[in-house]
Amino acid sequence: MSEAMTNAAAMPDDVLISIRNLKKYFPITAGWLRRKVGDVKAIDDVSLDIRKGETFGLVGESGSGKSTVARLMLRAYSLTEGQILFRQADGSVVDLSGLTDRQMRAMRREMQMIFQDPYSSLNPRMTLLELVGEPMVIHGVGTQAEIRDRVAELLQVVGLRPEFLNRYPHAFSGGQRQRIGIARALALNPSFIAADEAVSALDVSVAAQNINLLQDLQEKFGLTYLFITHDLGMVEHISDRVGVMYLGRLMEVAPTAQLFAKPLHPYTEALMAAVPQPDPRGNRTRKRVPLKGEIANAANPPPGCSFHPRCPYAQAKCATEVPALRTVTDGRQVRCHFAEELSLVGAMA
Amino acid sequence: MGNKTMTTSIMPPARLLELDNVQVHFPMREGLVKAVNGVSYHVDKGEVLGIVGESGSGKSITARAIMRLLPKRAVDAGGQILFRPRTGEEFELSQLSRNSRAIRQVRGHHIGMIFQEPMTALSPVHTIGTQIMRTIQLHMGLGRAAARERAIDLLAKVQLPRPKELVDAYPHQLSGGMRQRAMIALAISCDPSLLIADEPTTALDVTTEAQILDLLKSLQSELGMAIIFITHNFGVVADIADRVSVMYLGRIVETASVDDIFYAPKHPYTQALLRSIPRLGVDQGRRLPTIPGMVPDPFSVPSGCAFNPRCSHAITGLCEVQDPPEKRFNGQMSRCHIADRFAQELAHV
Repeated sequence: MSEAMTNAAAMPDDVLISIRNLKKYFPITAGWLRRKVGDVKAIDDVSLDIRKGETFGLVGESGSGKSTVARLMLRAYSLTEGQILFRQADGSVVDLSGLTDRQMRAMRREMQMIFQDPYSSLNPRMTLLELVGEPMVIHGVGTQAEIRDRVAELLQVVGLRPEFLNRYPHAFSGGQRQRIGIARALALNPSFIAADEAVSALDVSVAAQNINLLQDLQEKFGLTYLFITHDLGMVEHISDRVGVMYLGRLMEVAPTAQLFAKPLHPYTEALMAAVPQPDPRGNRTRKRVPLKGEIANAANPPPGCSFHPRCPYAQAKCATEVPALRTVTDGRQVRCHFAEELSLVGAMA
Repeated sequence: MGNKTMTTSIMPPARLLELDNVQVHFPMREGLVKAVNGVSYHVDKGEVLGIVGESGSGKSITARAIMRLLPKRAVDAGGQILFRPRTGEEFELSQLSRNSRAIRQVRGHHIGMIFQEPMTALSPVHTIGTQIMRTIQLHMGLGRAAARERAIDLLAKVQLPRPKELVDAYPHQLSGGMRQRAMIALAISCDPSLLIADEPTTALDVTTEAQILDLLKSLQSELGMAIIFITHNFGVVADIADRVSVMYLGRIVETASVDDIFYAPKHPYTQALLRSIPRLGVDQGRRLPTIPGMVPDPFSVPSGCAFNPRCSHAITGLCEVQDPPEKRFNGQMSRCHIADRFAQELAHV
């Protein structure tokens, strides 16, 4: 793995995982020769750092590429270009982009994922013991008795009774299944967990319980989260910093409170304005201009800024020049030509 | 049409729909599930009634009872559903069987319905236009050409771009938001007096959701139809509803104007649900207040008030013994023993 460690020096000490200029293109093929005629740029030049112990929220509409980023970080997809630097438990930094599948498998002890659908992500023919213990079996950790003890402990950690060991997932509700998924992700003591819409399918009261659980676990085990969701209220509640994605690109990155107080990108403003608030009087007075149209096709993105066809502030320059993701103030990045000139409205009352 | 009750009308003139003590049961191997356990509500002409509740609360099954589209194994266990569309005739829907001539006149003509997932609700092998035309031809007796004209007008009305082309498109050729618009066009094709919308925006992105909510609001005022809007999202209900009913375990626990539900809730379940939603720009506190425990399984509904084991105000010796009565405060109804207390407390605020 030594050649993979060359870029270690470039990563600040407090960063756990850093992706640099990440690209993922899916080829478009045509004809019976399956010749390549173009690319779907699912992820186009995304760079971000996630610090140790923080929760980084990633928001955007469906098709913006937020799940693809998470999958690339764990190398569930192969990447087209870019680097994924990850700091291991012993402090050494590894570039995951250069690892073979076998080398990557060892790394996954430290990186895990929680999925949206607690119904399809758990094998219905496996008991909780088998489901939660499977990562340990795969990585050859512990004897049978040790695995059993560990699974019982994990079930307790996520608020399920250890007696449930021999039950099957069908006996549990959606919220409980989500907890089984969380226990499974925790089995190997990872440092990084990517939660892909982890509470989106749950009812209000169950979602709140599971969010609190995720926060407790973070404190207890010093976990770092990548939290992907389309629910802005949830992301504001749980994240320390937020990245806003649109059509495979990061449009804005900012500390949560600053982002919601004063967004710098028109797309962020539009997303916030679109969320219906549990406040009927506020909804009546708030002027809300819904964003026109739909997210563009990633196979045929608009020239210039990919958001310009829907942007209420677009100018001639936006249609021709692709804006760069640039740092405007401390810790705030934005991909908009006119970020400084616009005065956008946030979600704060 | 012999089932139609034309005798003494008990409904006030403004009434469109009235449910009285509706019961729907499911006999299962494990016992009897009272999915809808004595639900009463009404809808006046031209108003939007929001129904909120967690999964399994019976909100969708109640809507299906109105449409007489209950699953085959469901048992209609009593109650009365009266419906009087703007044409003036009165239907006792609870007396109609699912295939009767009378209900087929009501369904799709006087009552339109839209669902969460348009892809499963629309036929995949017929064009959007064909599906709308069939409904129009059946209920309005128009010829092919006239029906096609009307279908194109309807698609324009729901703001689908290029209606003349999309009338010949299949559902799979449209995006999620466009499909939802097509389904709305189908539902309003015969100028219904009532539209039942069952989680129509749950599967959509926030920006598309905002567009669909605005569309429904403008159609509602333009066509003067009433809407029953079923959702688990309090933000959405605050945005669209005039009055709101909150359901828990097959019962309505509270009904009030949208402002009273959000600013003066008088049932502990409503209060707890409202507290457990992360609100945009309001609270970035570390923990969400949650409702302890989980929704009990439908085979063992607690005695007395079904919410008592999870209620922070529960009074031992009262709440788990006696069924709470419906208490009324002007237009507000709360099914809670101590609702008066909340009414007094709020008076001091």
